Amino acid sequence: MERREFIGMAAAGLGALSLGMRGCGSPQAVAPCDWVHLGIIGVGGRGQHMMRMMLRVPGVRIAGLCDVYEPRIAEGRKVTGEQTPAYSDYRKLLEARDIDAVMVATPLALHAEHVIAALDSGRAVYGEKSMGRTLDDCNRIRDAVRRTGKILQVGLQYTYAPWYTEAQKRIQVGSIGQVTQVYSYWHRNSNWRRPLPAGAGAEIERLLNWRLYRQWSGGLLAELGSHQISFANTLFGAMPDSAMASGGVDYWKDGREIEDNVHAILRYPGGQTLQASFITTNRLDGAQERIFGTGGSIVLTHTEAIYYQEPWYPNSAVPPEMTIGHKLITGPTYSAEQPYTGKGETPLKGEASDADLQACREFIDCIRARRRPVADVDLGWSEAVTVALCNHALETGRNIKLTDFLAGTA
Amino acid sequence: MGTLFTIYLHELNEARELAVFQAVFDEIERVERTFSRFLPSSEIARINRNAGQGPVVTDPEVFHLLEYAKDLSGKTEGAFDITIGCLTRVWGFSERKRAIPSSDALEAAEAAVGWKHLQLDAQWRTVEFLKPGMELDLGAIAKGYAVDCALDILRSLAVQAMIDAGSSSIAANGDFFSRTWPICVADPASADVLLSEVLLGDRALSTSGVKEQSFTRDGRVYSHLLDPASHQREQDSHLLQVLQTTVLAPDSRLADGLSTALFLLGPRRGEAVMERFPECSAFWACRGEEGDFCAGIRWPQMESSTQ
Repeated sequence: MERREFIGMAAAGLGALSLGMRGCGSPQAVAPCDWVHLGIIGVGGRGQHMMRMMLRVPGVRIAGLCDVYEPRIAEGRKVTGEQTPAYSDYRKLLEARDIDAVMVATPLALHAEHVIAALDSGRAVYGEKSMGRTLDDCNRIRDAVRRTGKILQVGLQYTYAPWYTEAQKRIQVGSIGQVTQVYSYWHRNSNWRRPLPAGAGAEIERLLNWRLYRQWSGGLLAELGSHQISFANTLFGAMPDSAMASGGVDYWKDGREIEDNVHAILRYPGGQTLQASFITTNRLDGAQERIFGTGGSIVLTHTEAIYYQEPWYPNSAVPPEMTIGHKLITGPTYSAEQPYTGKGETPLKGEASDADLQACREFIDCIRARRRPVADVDLGWSEAVTVALCNHALETGRNIKLTDFLAGTA
Repeated sequence: MGTLFTIYLHELNEARELAVFQAVFDEIERVERTFSRFLPSSEIARINRNAGQGPVVTDPEVFHLLEYAKDLSGKTEGAFDITIGCLTRVWGFSERKRAIPSSDALEAAEAAVGWKHLQLDAQWRTVEFLKPGMELDLGAIAKGYAVDCALDILRSLAVQAMIDAGSSSIAANGDFFSRTWPICVADPASADVLLSEVLLGDRALSTSGVKEQSFTRDGRVYSHLLDPASHQREQDSHLLQVLQTTVLAPDSRLADGLSTALFLLGPRRGEAVMERFPECSAFWACRGEEGDFCAGIRWPQMESSTQ
């Protein structure tokens, strides 16, 4: 018998009593059997942020923290507000009997090891994106989900952002015509570096700045691009046929191994293209997806969706009889090719909310209802394998076909 | 927070400076994304939307700051009050409105204010509004809290630094800034006249005043420092207007909240409140019937309580 089921039976009377006391949003309304005790593997910046989000969901308690970098434990306990049991070895955390579900927020190269171990221990898992670093990682995670039958939700939180889902619905009903291109930007102006404590050595540098080293990181494509790539895969209903990419360590020449700028072009089976750009030297464009359709455009940001109607140029509407017999008049360059600088419409932002909080709610709901999350292992596999495909293209400097990549012949 | 944060660092190399700046500004942004009432995705906005319908669970950080704020309301006779959200919205100082709201609108907003009606349940970590229409506005404490959080990071990295949030909240880590950089309190009526000069030491400084967000009608100054309980109406008759209050306190959140409360209370009633904060110092710049005057309590350069 699972621990949750046992507690559920033992406390059934109490749960029924509590239910009548308060509204549905309060923790008092959560029956004791529905409380979720989380273990956190990886208590760094992202892990702490997601812990705060999880603690805003009624009926969630954080029952264990695990990190190999000792100062993170004190930071994690500050977030939980209590002396949460702590471990330096994730296997010890997984041995703890009072943990129902696990969140994995470790460096990318460790996702597979931690996610699979947590699934094998019988827990539901919230695994940060990208789901895995390599094709083999992703296949093994998918096998583990199938083998254990446990829930895996991948940290693709924009899957749950109302303005994203609303935009996808509108696109599906043709509100911007046929979508042919997506341009995505994740532009920052920072060295993407975490400060080290005074006197820290190379080992701490690699631990805290793991995103900058190939040993642990999938670079900008994985750490930033996975959201946008997942969005394009969902929008086009497929993974790309092929990908090419270019980039380098061209500005932040500080010993890092991963590129400080990356530009990728992904071709989809329906003839659509995703052009993804990641830079760390200018943030004018920030993080956004620009979705171009034959009848309009949508710009998605982390807070809203903006809709633009495609202007219809006069030349496409002039009847032929109006032009026959007339002379062509020369003049200055036709201004219709100028970029549009007017305002778009934001007719529906969706429910104002934090996408991370939405994703956490969904994870806890899925555990309680024994339901498969939307950002499930298949969505994560599609996203992470596409990221790996792009990274292979970046490393080799070649246009890589998905079929070759999956067959191991790329 | 709509505030310019300036961070001064001492003795670092350029690469480390960049990483430290980034970490500190990331933390300040995180605090803003959590506590701003203007961002619809913030936790305070979520609480404002839902806590009128029933208890809302929040995370320990937010809950503890709300508990702290409510406790500060009690200790300042309600002069500091984070439930003034309705009142700030009606006055619209943050949107640069310059008009006195209608008496009906003011009456309705004032009815929705009251820190005692903010129900905080520590066992379940829930927030609930017991008055209809209540709204939280942490504007009088969030900036100080952001400075505290930023300073925590600088301390953990053992970096000597000073943080200046919009000139009104200032704190430092390390002797270089806290023991050698004087902080000057300017005369709110004349910026080139300095009223006082202090060293931070181990304390944080906060100033509240009418200079930025205010307007004058019929000789009276209306400012964004809104009085939840009409404290100023009970002032000494010789006091026409408090122009500015500066507080030194062990941390920035207390300095920030207390400077707002003492601004509203004025020196006379503020003196009683200051007895509850023996570790703090206060300095007022006031306009009286017989001219401008300063008052201080445990202020470093003042011997008596009022000068």
